[in-house]
Amino acid sequence: MAISSIDGCIGCGTCVQSCPTDVIRMDPRTGKAFIQYVADCQICHLCRMYCPVDAISITPDKSIPVVVSWG
Amino acid sequence: MKAPHENNGMSRRRFLTLAGGTAGAATLAAMGMAPGWGENRAAFDPDNMDQKTHQTDVLVIGGGMAGLFAAVKAHDAGARVVVLSKGRLGASGQTPFAKGIFAFDAREAGMSLDAFVAEVSRSALGTNNPVYTRQMAEHSAARVAELRDWGFFDSPLCNKAFSRPMEARGIPLIERVMVTHLIEHEGRIAGAAGFTLDDGHLIQVSAKSVVLCTGAGGFKPNGFPICDLTHDGTVMAYRIGAKVTGKEWNDGHPGQAQNPAACFDGWHGMFERKPDVTGVDVRHDLGVELNYVAYTKGAPLPPGPPDRLLGRLDGGPSRPRGFDRPHGPPPPGGGWLTGGPIHRPPLPGADGGAGGGPGGDKGPPGMRGAPVGGSSAGMAIHKSEGLVPINDRCESNIPGLYAAGDALGSYMAGAIYTQIGSSLAGSAVQGAVAGEAAAGYSRGVPMPSVPADKLAQVENEMLAPLRREAGYGPAWVTQTLQGVMIPNFVLYIKKESMLNAALAYIEELRDHHLPMLCAGDLHELRLAHETANMILSAEMKLRASLMRKESRCSHFRIDYPEMDDANWQAWINIHQGADGQMRLEKQPFDRWPA
Repeated sequence: MAISSIDGCIGCGTCVQSCPTDVIRMDPRTGKAFIQYVADCQICHLCRMYCPVDAISITPDKSIPVVVSWG
Repeated sequence: MKAPHENNGMSRRRFLTLAGGTAGAATLAAMGMAPGWGENRAAFDPDNMDQKTHQTDVLVIGGGMAGLFAAVKAHDAGARVVVLSKGRLGASGQTPFAKGIFAFDAREAGMSLDAFVAEVSRSALGTNNPVYTRQMAEHSAARVAELRDWGFFDSPLCNKAFSRPMEARGIPLIERVMVTHLIEHEGRIAGAAGFTLDDGHLIQVSAKSVVLCTGAGGFKPNGFPICDLTHDGTVMAYRIGAKVTGKEWNDGHPGQAQNPAACFDGWHGMFERKPDVTGVDVRHDLGVELNYVAYTKGAPLPPGPPDRLLGRLDGGPSRPRGFDRPHGPPPPGGGWLTGGPIHRPPLPGADGGAGGGPGGDKGPPGMRGAPVGGSSAGMAIHKSEGLVPINDRCESNIPGLYAAGDALGSYMAGAIYTQIGSSLAGSAVQGAVAGEAAAGYSRGVPMPSVPADKLAQVENEMLAPLRREAGYGPAWVTQTLQGVMIPNFVLYIKKESMLNAALAYIEELRDHHLPMLCAGDLHELRLAHETANMILSAEMKLRASLMRKESRCSHFRIDYPEMDDANWQAWINIHQGADGQMRLEKQPFDRWPA
């Protein structure tokens, strides 16, 4: 599942900036970060390491989508 | 008949806008089209984007180690500088994960600069450019000292340390910008264009010179933190006429068979370590030996220290004499000084000896579990691929366009890993050299004035995936490309028939799918351009691999397993011909391009 949860976000946006693959975005309604493009998570943990309140959980597994005939 | 990717006068999205959502859908149904047909999610309107323009003497693209030094040194040389970065300063590309940086100290090393360069050249089998090898060593200690002043060695995360010299100089930095185009005008560089990922602005920078610090790239492989690196700089430069080199070489870093996508876990927490300084330790590592073992013996490969796993296998990649131990320096007086014949050593179980973080250091992945190949698929050896330099100032064949670090095919270390930590040092050194050179060039040229129609064309190409009402999702095209390029019988264990077969697939993606890439939002627009860049890079890798009919360093042809010095003391340069076709040519090892 790669990046799996953001719990206790203070809305600083640092994780959005620090994700090399643009997985996390700010939710304009809540002012908090949320996981928008999990398929692109490279499991590098930079978001977790930069998060000032240790809000981000990451698992080592990634569900690779099956190959299909068109997409 | 129109090609499928040509718009039929009106996009589905605009049709719906004009007709009103419900009525439009009903009309589509009446036309025999299901409402879901070809629907491209319309989460973003490409026709309502603001544009921000900038003017500068030196535009630096990329916010890693090379970009930092290019910006700082260009500024200190008196130039106005702007930096654009796809990610955050010091938090994208390979820089955040490279934990070792080499500093040459002749006394500590116990060898002269000349001896060091000669030793790298012996391991690299002639593939290195000794001018860049020497330049890296000569300037490495000075760059390391500056990094120390900025606090680089005090934290595992380098954004803060990188921000210090940028903020002290007031250098404008725009982060999270996907640069899609370099702009050439009247035979020289004129700037670049892209879009911001968050607020969706178009960015257009007019610049007297550009320094590409965009890193290398891969095929968004699993297990190596390079999924944001897709050879963007190289491909943009190729499209405006720059020469590119190094596409036949391979980075051979293994990953772990269990949870292969987990970069952080595969490097066993190394990403959380503070960086440190490395010394001289010349090797010949990270080629394709592990892939050869897996190809001939099959998986799974056993875990454990690599040098006691497997016995001798015939017909595999060779090592230069004196470098037969996979993870150690040549023995003193071991005969390599005279450059003896090539021989085949016992093969290691995991040819990831000199890794220790992208960029080089110590302690590779794949040591604690069964290893698997392809974790860095699509990437060559650091500093071996990228723009062809025409001199020792990191200058490309396009006036005003410079490159540094992994975006420059400087062959600083050759076509194999020859040293721990030199890659990060090389990025710092070359960034500084390129920044100063670009500042000097900018003093002698006027600010370019690009015609409006050229800028409009760039914008159309940039936003086309958002405007297509149907096409192919970039994630699927990328996945298809990965299925063609990542198996070890294509780029690691190469042979004519498979390279040609893969090339047929890639040409299909280039001709049919690339023009139909579509995007529903800015994230997908970035992916669409990244995918297009990977397709071009895949074509370059296959054509260069077909052309080099020998085996040397990290390029292994099972149908030409021997080194061929009579014909191949040469690098391969690639450029776009006047007819748009990819052209490949040899450049002798001991010469700059004509």
